[in-house]
Amino acid sequence: MWGKNVVIVLGCILLAATVYAKEHPGKEQILKDGYQGPKTCEECHPGKAKEFLGTVHWKHASKVDHVDNLDPNEEHGMKNRIYTMCNGNDIVNNLKEVPPNALGKTKFTGCNTCHPGDHASDVGSTGPAAEQAIDCLICHSLKYDFSKRKAVKDSSGKVVMTQDRSTEAAANIGRPSVKNCMACHEAAGGGAMIKRGFSMAKDAEVHITKGIICVDCHQVKNHKFPTGRDPNNWAHDGIYMTCVGECHTIKPHSDPDYNRHTDKIACQTCHIPKTGGAFSKDFTKWEKQSNGFFEPSTLKREVNETAPVYAWYNLTVSNTPQFIGPKGSRTDGKSKIYPFKIFQGKAYYNKKDGKLMSMDFAPPIANGDSLAGVASAAKILGIKDYEPVPGWQTIYFGSNHQVTPKSKALRCANCHAVNGVLNLKELGYNPREIEKLTTPEIYFEKLLKQQQENE
Amino acid sequence: MKKILSIVMVLALAAFASFAAVTTASAEELKMTGTISKIELAADGKSATVVLKDTKTEASVTVIVSDELTLDKFKDKRIVEGDEIRTKYDSEGGKNSSKMFKKTAGC
Repeated sequence: MWGKNVVIVLGCILLAATVYAKEHPGKEQILKDGYQGPKTCEECHPGKAKEFLGTVHWKHASKVDHVDNLDPNEEHGMKNRIYTMCNGNDIVNNLKEVPPNALGKTKFTGCNTCHPGDHASDVGSTGPAAEQAIDCLICHSLKYDFSKRKAVKDSSGKVVMTQDRSTEAAANIGRPSVKNCMACHEAAGGGAMIKRGFSMAKDAEVHITKGIICVDCHQVKNHKFPTGRDPNNWAHDGIYMTCVGECHTIKPHSDPDYNRHTDKIACQTCHIPKTGGAFSKDFTKWEKQSNGFFEPSTLKREVNETAPVYAWYNLTVSNTPQFIGPKGSRTDGKSKIYPFKIFQGKAYYNKKDGKLMSMDFAPPIANGDSLAGVASAAKILGIKDYEPVPGWQTIYFGSNHQVTPKSKALRCANCHAVNGVLNLKELGYNPREIEKLTTPEIYFEKLLKQQQENE
Repeated sequence: MKKILSIVMVLALAAFASFAAVTTASAEELKMTGTISKIELAADGKSATVVLKDTKTEASVTVIVSDELTLDKFKDKRIVEGDEIRTKYDSEGGKNSSKMFKKTAGC
C-alpha cells in the first residue's frame, strides 16, 4: 500500500512538473499577436467562455438540494446568501466606492471583488459581452500582475474592475497554480485566512509539500469544480469529491485498526487536527481602524491555533436563522464524524419575521453606523417592514484543508482518552459506552510497541 | 590572589548575566499597522526589505520579510506599495524580522 501511494504521489508530481515544464501551445502566436482577452483563448478553446458563465465561479450560486429551508428551484450562494461570516452578499455589497470617512478618505469595496469578470459584466451575467469580460488569466497565468486588477471608475463614473491582459501574462498560462486559487480563496471574509483559516503553504499542507496542487484534487471538468461538502458552502457545480479516489482507497492505512474506523470517521477528523481564522464577529459593533475606516469587530486566531469541534454529519445541512451546521447522528447509517470550525456571528434580525438581515458595508465602513448598513441593504432588497434587533448565529465550517503530515495526525490516544478530543457524550454515547471507549486497554499494547520501536 | 580571582569571576558572571538579559530583552515581538512606502526585493529573491509608515505614529519602520508566501505576493504584486499592512515582527539588534505580514483589507 505504501509503495502504491508513493508511486501515485510521484506520478502526480511528475505530471505537475511535466505540465509546468512544457510551454502552453500557442505561446508564439500570443507573443506575435498580443492578447485580446477570451477571444484569444477561444481561438484554440472554442466555447469555453460560454461554458464558464454557467459555473459557480461566475454565478456565485447554484441550485441547492441538501440544505434545509431553501427553495430547491432557486439558486443560492454568495450572490444572495445572508449569514454572519459575511453579513452582506454580492447584491447588497455590490462593488462600490464607500462614502468618505471622517478623514475624507474613500475606497472601493464589495463582496464581488473576487468575481472573475470586469464588474460591468458581473455575477451571473450572460451573453457575448460577459464572455469577453472573463478574466481567464487570473486563474490561468503564472505571471499575472495583480496590481493591474483593481476597481476604478470608468469615464462614465461606473465602477469597473481592470484586469492584467498583458502579453506577458497571457504567454505564461497553464493549469491554475496554488497561488492562482489562493489569491481569491485566502482573502474571503475580511482579510487573509480569516474565513476558512487554513494555509496552503508548503509547510502547512502535506499535499502541497509533496507538490500536489489544488486542481490535482479538485479535478476540473469543463470548468466545473468538484467540491467537498462543507455545511456552509452551498453553491456547487454538481460534482462532489472525497479523499477516496485516484490517490486514496477506502482502506488507506497499513494498520487495519485504523482502517476499521473509516466507516464512521471521516479522513479529515484525524488528518486535519487544527484550523484557524475568525471564530466570532460582531456586525453590530464596528471598530475604528487607524486609517479612519471601520471594520466589524472580529475575534480571530492564526492558522493552526484552533482545535476543531467534531460532529456526526450525513452531508445534509440544518439551516435556520440562528444555526447553520451538520445534520446526522450515530444511528442514521449515513453519518460520519467530521471536524468543524465553530463560528459565531452577531448581526441584526428582523423582529417582524425572525429572519437574519443583511448589511450593506459601505455606510459602516465609512462611519461605523451598522444600522445605516442594514437600512441600505433593506432598501436594495425592497424590505420595508422591519425592526432590527441584534442576535447571534452559530455556523459550522467544514475543516477540509491543511492536511497535516501523517506523524502529526490524531492517533488512538487522542480520541480514546478521558476528556479526549472527541466529546463522546455530545456524539451520542452513553456513560457505559464512553467508559469502554476511553480505556487505555484499547491501545496500550499497540502504542507501547510503537514507542519501543521508535526509541 | 584569591580575592582578585573572586572579583574577576563575579564581574564575569555579572557581565554574562547582563548580556543575557540584554539579549532576551532585545528579542522583542512588536506589531503594527502601516502603509507600505517601499518594497525592495533582494537579488536572490529570498528576502525583501519593506519600509512601512506606522498609521498611528507616522514613524517609518523597516521590516525584513523572508517567508516564501509573502515574497511571492510581492513578486506578483498582490501586495504593493501603498497597501495597508498588519505585521508582527521580532526586533533584535536593530533588525526587524517579520513573523506575520498581511494586508488589512479583505473583500
